[in-house]
Amino acid sequence: MLLQWLFLLMILSSLIYGLLTGRAALLFPAALEGVSSAVALTLRLLSGYLFFMGMMELVKALRLHEKMAKLLRPLLRFLMPGLHDPEIPKAISLNLTANLLGLGNAATPTGIEAVRLMDAEDTIASRHAIFMLLILNSTSLQLLPTTVLTLRTAAGSASPAAILWPTLVCTGFSTLVGVILALLCRKFIHSPGRLPQRSPA
Amino acid sequence: MTDYILPLLLIALLLTCALKRLPVYDLFLKGSKQGLTVALQVLPNLAAMLCAISLMEASGLTQRLLRLLAPVIHLLGLPIETAPLVLLRPLSGSASLGLLEKLLAEFGPDSRTGLIASVVMGSSETIFYTLCVYMSSAKDRRTGYALFCSLAGMLAGVWLAGLMIR
Repeated sequence: MLLQWLFLLMILSSLIYGLLTGRAALLFPAALEGVSSAVALTLRLLSGYLFFMGMMELVKALRLHEKMAKLLRPLLRFLMPGLHDPEIPKAISLNLTANLLGLGNAATPTGIEAVRLMDAEDTIASRHAIFMLLILNSTSLQLLPTTVLTLRTAAGSASPAAILWPTLVCTGFSTLVGVILALLCRKFIHSPGRLPQRSPA
Repeated sequence: MTDYILPLLLIALLLTCALKRLPVYDLFLKGSKQGLTVALQVLPNLAAMLCAISLMEASGLTQRLLRLLAPVIHLLGLPIETAPLVLLRPLSGSASLGLLEKLLAEFGPDSRTGLIASVVMGSSETIFYTLCVYMSSAKDRRTGYALFCSLAGMLAGVWLAGLMIR
């Protein structure tokens, strides 16, 4: 839904703006050039996906994320208190550790399952917990930005990995700020049910 | 120093797998095959968004918007050319990937702009998409304060990226 509007807005506004500023001849070639650069980019991404997803399958086979999940439990009790179903913290911790390790396709199903269980519990505590899970996931947790590494390598960087520490610090900081704001919201907004905002798209 | 991280991680991973007698080669093939599917699924999304981005640039609209956005981006301490990336990052993963690649090609991956763009991309998430996917199975799909907190967190991370990379 959202992307549909974004796509329409971007294309229509550029076409109209381009016509008004006398660049009609440039528009169609630009559209095709954009698509052909998508093909080139996909090829570059493909080499990264083939390598990193191959290696990530090894991480998955070691069940590292399942072992790390137990370590997260105390933190979860602090961030998401008042949940009853014991399956919920299990799903959430698996979701978070899989995301940390970059196992995207192992992370998403457990996250969706956790939200479904919390939605079914339908208490004020479980609503706040859903929001916390959303914030943790959407402020990015990934320790190794594999796609960025791929693109930096393809662009001929002298040191593709130079961004690893700053990325880790920034993603940690963004998650921290998100979590602190969420804790403040939890403290001051007692009934999340009364919030009018709907999920985007 | 950081150049050692990836090789060391790979050594640790492969050694552990070898010691546990895991079928390393078959596992790699299995994961790799999924990579092929992911790339195929990504292509139409990239085509749509990169077409739109290319049109915005050719029509002069991007330049116009950048001039409008300059004061805000200055306030964040970021190079002005990273503005489209910061704006589109929470909305579309494909659009931001395309913009990152453009910035890396134009300014160089080891320039300040290239480094900041890389960190912004790697340290943030497609917020709107994530919220949609995770709420897809819920009956009550309200996201409350989650969107606000996530966007604020991302903004804080972006600000820090500009501060750390000088």
